[in-house]
Amino acid sequence: MRVRVIRSGGFAGVERRGERDAASDPVLRDLLDRVDLDGAPPAEEAPDRFSYEIDIDGRVATVGEAQLTGPLRDLVRHVLDEPD
Amino acid sequence: MRCTILPPHILEHLAETADDRALREMARRTLTMSSAHRAERRAVAFAPVAPTEDFVPERAVHDARHRERLPGDLVRAEGQAPTGDAAVDRAYDWLGVTFGFFAEIYRRDSIDGAGMTMVSTVHYGRGYANAFWNGRQMVYGDGDGRLFLSFTGPLEVTGHELVHGVTQHTADLEYHGQSGALNESISDVFGSLVKQWHLRQTADEADWIIGAGLLGPDVNGVGLRSMKEPGTAYDDPRLGKDPQPGHMDDYVETHHDNGGVHINSGIPNRAFYLAAVALGGHAWEKAGRIWYDTLTGDAMKPTIEFDAFAAATVETAERLYGAGGTESRAVRDAWREVGVES
Repeated sequence: MRVRVIRSGGFAGVERRGERDAASDPVLRDLLDRVDLDGAPPAEEAPDRFSYEIDIDGRVATVGEAQLTGPLRDLVRHVLDEPD
Repeated sequence: MRCTILPPHILEHLAETADDRALREMARRTLTMSSAHRAERRAVAFAPVAPTEDFVPERAVHDARHRERLPGDLVRAEGQAPTGDAAVDRAYDWLGVTFGFFAEIYRRDSIDGAGMTMVSTVHYGRGYANAFWNGRQMVYGDGDGRLFLSFTGPLEVTGHELVHGVTQHTADLEYHGQSGALNESISDVFGSLVKQWHLRQTADEADWIIGAGLLGPDVNGVGLRSMKEPGTAYDDPRLGKDPQPGHMDDYVETHHDNGGVHINSGIPNRAFYLAAVALGGHAWEKAGRIWYDTLTGDAMKPTIEFDAFAAATVETAERLYGAGGTESRAVRDAWREVGVES
């Protein structure tokens, strides 16, 4: 499974992208087992907050920063290579 | 009299007890300034305020202590002495300057026009490279220290975030597509005007940069956005290139960033810049007054788009300065130059 994340928005409006393949990433495989992309809440439009487009093998959801919690947040941070 | 040379305890005493209202106000205003302001050598003393001035800032700066809980611990309430934490003290000072700008120039009493407490949280998250308005308060990250420095640094960032609150309490522009780009642009416009007012700059002297000093020293860029020349603020291998258009021909259709609100804001940003430079002098006096009265006026609605907003600014200019005058012509020409018909 391939996972692609695009972070947009924020005060700076600078886009960040990350992509990983579960075939060579055991941490990602473990995260994917715990993520429910279809259960993600609809993106909230809030000034200068980040917006995350998450693509898991062609299934796509857009999640607002304030709604990004739990395993989905861990997945996004892992794919974008951000510190916890 | 230069209040800036008085020690804080004397200013506090004056602010509370002086018989002369203008003197009290001057002392209060000076107390809202910081060591950072005093270090700003180009800044001059504020002009004496009108004796009817009776708006008083109420600030509350909180520390998230690198967690993401809001509002965090209250570390500096209104009137309290500096804490020694640069982010806390700068947030406090910039709130004071922004409050002073709206009070003095547009007779607006805080974010909601009714003396609302200005709440800010600093040190939000770890390496958090962002600042935002969450509907109730402002929030600032320290940046990653490499690409982005602390978001409490530039005055226009505080102005920008606080103005998201002003917009919420007035036109309440929906945060997507063109109305969202206008929401963003209005925050940039008044964020820049707060800074220009603080530095007493004319439209010709101002840098018209949003986020000046926010980028790390190794980043190739002067800030995040240029209102004067959208698309030229940065070009860096790690950040990419500033994606802002300055004309409708280059309007970016995207579903990212709520429909490109931080991208297409370059178009109304440049329209404001062009109007301000054409009118000359201090941009907050005429161009800023036209935009502010439009934002807070009856013509606005949450879903308004560029052309209707442009028409509303022209109508405001006619109402304020007369139909067929240089002001309304300058505003119409500015919109036309960015490809928006008013």
